[in-house]
Amino acid sequence: MIDKPNLEVEIAGIKLKNPVMTASGTFGYGEEFSAFIDLDKLGAMVLKGIYLKPKMGNPPPRVIETPSGMLNAIGLQNVGVEVLIKEKLPYLKKFNTPVIINISGDTIEEYVELARRLGEVSKEVGVAGLEVNISCPNVKRGGMVWGTDAKATYKIVSSIRKATTLPLIVKLTPNVTDVKIIAQAAEEAGADALSLINTLVGMVVDIDSRKPKLANISGGLSGPAVKPIALWLVWQVFQTVKIPIIGIGGIIKIEDALEFIIAGARAIGIGTANFVNPKVTVEIIEGIEKYLIEKNIKDINKLVGSMKI
Amino acid sequence: MSAILNIKVKILSRKEVAPNIYLMKLKAPEIAQDALPGQFIHIKCSEDNYPLLRRPLSIHRIDKEKGEIFILFQVVGEGTKLLFQRTVGDNLDILGPIGNGFNIYPESRKIMIVGGGIGVAPLLALVEESIAQDKEVRVLIGALKKEMVIGEESIRSLGVKVDIATDDGSYKYEGLVTDLLERTIKEGWLADQIFACGPKPMLKKINEIALQANINCQVSLEERMACGIGACLGCVCKIKTKDKKEDKVKYEYKRVCVDGPIFEGSEVVWDD
Repeated sequence: MIDKPNLEVEIAGIKLKNPVMTASGTFGYGEEFSAFIDLDKLGAMVLKGIYLKPKMGNPPPRVIETPSGMLNAIGLQNVGVEVLIKEKLPYLKKFNTPVIINISGDTIEEYVELARRLGEVSKEVGVAGLEVNISCPNVKRGGMVWGTDAKATYKIVSSIRKATTLPLIVKLTPNVTDVKIIAQAAEEAGADALSLINTLVGMVVDIDSRKPKLANISGGLSGPAVKPIALWLVWQVFQTVKIPIIGIGGIIKIEDALEFIIAGARAIGIGTANFVNPKVTVEIIEGIEKYLIEKNIKDINKLVGSMKI
Repeated sequence: MSAILNIKVKILSRKEVAPNIYLMKLKAPEIAQDALPGQFIHIKCSEDNYPLLRRPLSIHRIDKEKGEIFILFQVVGEGTKLLFQRTVGDNLDILGPIGNGFNIYPESRKIMIVGGGIGVAPLLALVEESIAQDKEVRVLIGALKKEMVIGEESIRSLGVKVDIATDDGSYKYEGLVTDLLERTIKEGWLADQIFACGPKPMLKKINEIALQANINCQVSLEERMACGIGACLGCVCKIKTKDKKEDKVKYEYKRVCVDGPIFEGSEVVWDD
């Protein structure tokens, strides 16, 4: 028996004390959760997606529950990068947890400028890396437009790569025919890691009014309902690329997180479950450690991609 | 606003107060101590993860001495159905207290409180608080029909004048609760503040009446909600704010959960 297994992993050159991260858009700017958990315990925090300029977001209703999941169409409402730098990041600096900024834009130039700006202030305000969102299904321009085409993925990732030395994580959409091609394009363009999956596009109809239940008509599906899809895509990408993978999609309990790690994820991102149980991230960290002890596994890295077939 | 807690609270009792409407008493000293009228709790209705999301329910009454809070809810969907099936003695996983609460101005002398349907839920605590602050209080309640009138006796027992309107005229005034509001104003009972909770068309009309009579009006809004702690930006409503620098109106989406659920009626964008 071992008493203290190694939980440390490395993602895109960033050292994480454990593999549990938060998924962008579900953890606000971090502070919202500080009443419930010790932010120091997390592997990394990925914050709500940011643009160069503030964005108002979509009209309500923006969320609707579905069987074992939910649809959202927030539309990337955000405070803009300057407010993020001045008002949100200083609070997080006192924690010994890497902060990763999820970036979005309407044009390549906006992504590039955002990456450059965050690179410029990264030491001062504490930015460990960037997660490039090329997979948001809820904004008309940008977002998923890039992530559904391998050439566009290559173009945008390589452009951002030239603009910053910060570690780059590229977040992939499941709304494609073959995720492996997109993953490869991102890797070739210089991505240091991949995160997947973003949400699946879906819709709910009100049969009395015959209107869609979301003002945006469609939204992104997340929650336990999407987990098998996410696992399958992580497993496929794991066999295709060499860079580490952050597995995201419907993780709500310890077993879910372990499934992703076994299927090839070096770290995992917890999303919608934060809305149900604000302490879920820390509970899963403790659960992973317990599992390693029980199974006599000394190092979490030994578990990554260890699926037997 | 005090910090939001995530705790387990015991169900002390449950009673059907109208068809499909339940009053539940919870042992929650930590919540009762800090809760304000108009705030809500976010409840995990089942013990597993189905249905997935919590359900936001207004705090109906706050008993600081006994450390108890009450919720009043209508069984309308899967979440509330599971909630009413929970047995007395069970522990409920809740987040709370959440939100800003009604803002009673110290200088206000007369308070008008209007509830429509299950919108009565947050108003009993508000009536009690208004009385505690020595305000003169009147309450108007609207419902579809007689059996659906809730809160009448509990509010009247506090010595408050309660007027009722039912859509079908099966009890007291036949018509809308907003007619009653207009009538009391015409009769010369002018409140310094109006507080309201109920369906959106009702709140919109109340805001119009209040604007015309030049009375401050605060409304409790509802929206589909996910996290309840201000992180997901799911439960927003469109709010008019003044840009201080340029002195022009601008709009933003504010979170019903932590920026509300109480908003100034004059700030809400009603037709959108």
